[in-house]
Amino acid sequence: MPKFLHTADWQMGRAFTRFETEDGAALVEARFEAIETLAQLANEHQCDAVLVAGDVFDAQTVSDRTIRRVFNATKGFAGPWVMLPGNHDAALAESVWTRARRLGAVPENVHLALQPGVIDLEAQGLSILCAPLTQRHTYGDLTEPFSGYETPEGFLRVGLAHGSVQGLLPDEIDSTNPIAPNRAKASRLDYLALGDWHGTKQIDERTWYSGTPEPERFRNNEAGNALIVEVSEPGATPTVTSLPTGRYQWHQWRETLAVQSDLEQLLERLNALPESAVVDLRLEGSVTLAGEETLLKALSVAEARFRSLRCERSGLQLAPTDEDIAALKADGYVGEVVESLRERQEGAQDDVARDALAILAGLLREREQEVGQ
Amino acid sequence: MKLQRMRIEQLRQFRKPFVLDNLQPGLNLIHGPNESGKSTLVRAIRAAFFERYRSTAVDDLRPWGDSAAAPTVELDFEHEGRSWHLTKSFLQRKRCDLKVGTETYSEDDAEEKLAELLGYQYPKRGASKAEHWGIPGLLWVEQGTGQDIEQAIEHAGDHLKSALNSMVGEVASSGGDDLIETVRSQRDILLTGTGKPRGDYLKLEKDRAQYELEIEELKERVHKYQEQVDRLGKLTHDFDQAEAERPWEDAQRHLEEARARYQQVERLEQQQNQEKATLNQLQQNHRLLQQNKEHLEGLSRQLESRKAELDRAEHDLSVAQAQTPAVTGRLTEARTAYEQAEKQRKLAGLLQTRQRLEQDLKRLEQQQRVISQNLAKAREYQQQLEQARQQARENRIDPELVKKLRATGSQLNEETIRSETIATRLSWQLDADASLTLNNEPLVGQGEQQLLEESTLVIPGVGTLGITPGGEELASTRRKLKALEENLAEQLKTLGVASVEQAEERLSAYENAGRAQKHAEDLLKSVAPAGIEQLVSEQNEAESELEKAKSQLEATPKPNPKEDVPALEEAEAAFARAGSALDKAESDDRAHQSRMSALKQARDNAKTEWQRLADEEKSPERQEQLRQITTHLANLEKQQAELQASLERREREIREARPEFLKQDIERYQNAVNQLRQTQENRGRELRDIKVRLEAWGAEGLEEQLNEKEAEYDQCNRRYQELHRRAQALDLLLNLLMEKRQALTRRLQAPLQKHLNHFLSVLFPEASLEVDEQLRPGTFSRGTELGQITELSFGAREQMGLISRLAYADLLREAGRPTLVILDDTLVHSDSDRLEDMKRILFDAASRHQILLFTCHPEKWQDLGVPPVDIEASKELSA
Repeated sequence: MPKFLHTADWQMGRAFTRFETEDGAALVEARFEAIETLAQLANEHQCDAVLVAGDVFDAQTVSDRTIRRVFNATKGFAGPWVMLPGNHDAALAESVWTRARRLGAVPENVHLALQPGVIDLEAQGLSILCAPLTQRHTYGDLTEPFSGYETPEGFLRVGLAHGSVQGLLPDEIDSTNPIAPNRAKASRLDYLALGDWHGTKQIDERTWYSGTPEPERFRNNEAGNALIVEVSEPGATPTVTSLPTGRYQWHQWRETLAVQSDLEQLLERLNALPESAVVDLRLEGSVTLAGEETLLKALSVAEARFRSLRCERSGLQLAPTDEDIAALKADGYVGEVVESLRERQEGAQDDVARDALAILAGLLREREQEVGQ
Repeated sequence: MKLQRMRIEQLRQFRKPFVLDNLQPGLNLIHGPNESGKSTLVRAIRAAFFERYRSTAVDDLRPWGDSAAAPTVELDFEHEGRSWHLTKSFLQRKRCDLKVGTETYSEDDAEEKLAELLGYQYPKRGASKAEHWGIPGLLWVEQGTGQDIEQAIEHAGDHLKSALNSMVGEVASSGGDDLIETVRSQRDILLTGTGKPRGDYLKLEKDRAQYELEIEELKERVHKYQEQVDRLGKLTHDFDQAEAERPWEDAQRHLEEARARYQQVERLEQQQNQEKATLNQLQQNHRLLQQNKEHLEGLSRQLESRKAELDRAEHDLSVAQAQTPAVTGRLTEARTAYEQAEKQRKLAGLLQTRQRLEQDLKRLEQQQRVISQNLAKAREYQQQLEQARQQARENRIDPELVKKLRATGSQLNEETIRSETIATRLSWQLDADASLTLNNEPLVGQGEQQLLEESTLVIPGVGTLGITPGGEELASTRRKLKALEENLAEQLKTLGVASVEQAEERLSAYENAGRAQKHAEDLLKSVAPAGIEQLVSEQNEAESELEKAKSQLEATPKPNPKEDVPALEEAEAAFARAGSALDKAESDDRAHQSRMSALKQARDNAKTEWQRLADEEKSPERQEQLRQITTHLANLEKQQAELQASLERREREIREARPEFLKQDIERYQNAVNQLRQTQENRGRELRDIKVRLEAWGAEGLEEQLNEKEAEYDQCNRRYQELHRRAQALDLLLNLLMEKRQALTRRLQAPLQKHLNHFLSVLFPEASLEVDEQLRPGTFSRGTELGQITELSFGAREQMGLISRLAYADLLREAGRPTLVILDDTLVHSDSDRLEDMKRILFDAASRHQILLFTCHPEKWQDLGVPPVDIEASKELSA
């Protein structure tokens, strides 16, 4: 009863912008760990093979070290791995794959599907029908030839492809590398393992996107899984089990603050997140000076707790109340300056005025504290 | 604040106590001459406030030479209804005591109290300087510094602001200035004075640019890499396809086909050329035979033409022969005419000779006549000349001697006359018979004699009478007379004349003869310039010439008068004409003769030629030859026609094979083969190159680098944006704070301006003086003048300085601060008009402030309306 693990879109060699150096490095490291996790899962579930449906590498020219580390990370699983070139790592005349081979980094048990065709895993009774990308983008259905591929009697016909299933995925997905929605049926496939869509997604009972094993964007829900596929015999409906593999959860929140309770709720939700969260906050609306002080304190705490926390507050206006100003003891012309800045901030959505106001409030607060001591 | 009394002791020249009492709340005029202690009083007031009582830097207060002195100042003044009493001693006894109402302060407390009241500060050490004087520095004007208002205001700045705070208290901010400083220092970390990034901000900006550059570079390289990969893919495809299809072999086959076809054409062309050569030969042969045939056929034609030529020659000859008599006739005629002309010419010549001889004869006869006449005249003139010469010879006399003679004669006359006057005259009248003898000479009748010498008169009868003439000169006269007489006689003898008259006559005759001779000579010269002999020989010559001419004429034959003889010139011209006519006739004749002989020769030649041809034409060999040639020619023509047809056929064949295209095809296929092979080789080479290159580039992990670099850039940019926003925010904040603070300052400006205008209108009715943001009088304008106070004259600056100070005093008073104005000999540079205005201003200010005016010119301030205080008098009182 053949059983295999379906994964895709490792995107190895990607560096993370928008993060602090340290956080970026941790996120990169997590992706290598994800491969090891996959190998471990394959062993745990006694899989016959691991199929990677494209985009193992994020780019053609990644460093030698990355190439070696990727193949090293597969060592945990000694069974066959079949890796398919996707749009990021297409099997061009010169590619990351040819380099990996030149480096001698590819282990015996890893099959590189660099040409369209069938890879028969004799021992496992698996015929892997491969539709590798040999150009960066194609506009024809590369899985079309699957129908013509003959496979040994009694072997499972498993398609391995990378692209967009026509008409099912949201429009925003690149419409290049199209795949017919009825491919599994049309080409008599027992299962079609797809890559390119980074979330886990079922197309039909035999067709799945496994998604990436470790999330790397804030979009795409259901990322961070691998699929264990079990087909009792050729023609039988596959049993597909999704297993979590991701280490970090990515959260992106867009919040508008209007009243004090909005802020309180936000902070409660933030507190509820696990430490492995990668958080991107964008705040709008307005906040009092006291509220901002609270917010800043909470963010400071959260920054230390989470893998990464970023908060964009330029859309969040400062609305000092009379109490705020009284508390700051901004008398005389300084008071006028506060008023002027507040007006500018509200009138023209002036970020500079907002920042100036924040700085002024900070300075005044410091002064009050000094006096208080 | 009102100063009421001051007392000083042991201070400079005031060794004894000195009291200035009874000071008025308004204007106080305190005067004294130089050295009277006026400046010491001012110094004492300043010391009482500004100098620390324990200061060691106040030695100038010590009376000269008194090291034990303790300079002391006591001041009594009133402020806000309380009376203040200050006692301050320096040097030997350092003390300070202040009593305010019932409260007492001493030492430092007392001094701080005073500083707070008036708004100034103490030096940390040493003597108090201008920068410590604060508000009093502005209101207390030292001698000669009235114009330096700016410094004073600067030094008073902080004190002024805090002093004036109460006026504008609601807008001033507690700690606002500190805040500004904090903001400024934070801003200055990020921005330069002109708002350019600095420090980390600048570094980030640069880093960011550097990252951008690096990213751009990496992207470029990635792009290149991808291009190379694409190139590799395409090349691999092309290379494999070419290897499979081997298109160069196809081209090679085409090439060989084309070459074979071309070789065929070349063979045809060779044959063509050979046949063309054969044809050429045949044509040549044909041409030669044709020439032979033509030659043979030509004999009959030649014969005819020879005959014609012969006939023509005969004809020409006969025509020429016919012309012969005419030519000969013309020659004879010409000869006759020539002879006739020659004869005529001779006759004309003869005639002319005769005419010339006849003319010569006439001329010679004429000449002979003239000579004969001249000769006759010449002989006559010669005779006249001889006569004249004879005359002259006969009468020759020397005119000079005559002249001398004449002179001697007249001298003798004169002497004679004189002697007669002095001589003794002896006259006598004797009877007829009586006689006397005088000097042995008898005297008879009557007479008279002059007696110059002793004479003896003998009277016969009587005896002898001696007479001696009297007179002294008688003797010399008698001697002179005698000399003269002898001289005259001598001269007469020499000249050969008897008397003077005769001499004169002879001279006249001589001169006449001379003249006649001259005349005759001239005449002779006119007819016979060369003399008579010459004339005679001329005559002989003329005669012989005449004879010769006559004989010649007779020898010349006389022409026949009946004959018509032309003039010589005409005859000669006719002769010349006849000569040339004869020449022509002769040459015509010669030409005719030679032509005749040439024609005869031609006729003979033609005849010979004709004869030869006529013989040849008739020969049988020639007939045979001509027949053979005609046959041969017909054969040749047939062969030619055949060859030409063959050539045309082949030519068409060659043309249809298009050899030029075949040649191009060969070249084209050859190139194609080469190029196809070359292309494939190049592909192979490029493939290897690209592979090597890509391997090298791939090892660099370009895209991963790019990813990382972009991450770094992102971080850098984020930090940059943060700082950028912070810098902008700080800049904005600083500007706003400054702006607002300036607005506050401007609020203080208004009242100060008001007070300033109040005084200024008195001094310069049309002028205005702007107060700047630092509350300093700045721009001054008067009519069209516009400028800074510092550009005004010293006097005007001093006046401006004073009214500014008074304006400040007004402002301070409004703020409830003490004001005491001390002026030490001020306004000395003002003219009387301005001084008058300043007095009005001072009087006005004195209604609000106490003013102490120290001066050594009390007369200038008489009209201030206050009693002057005389220091000297006060000294006496104090003592």
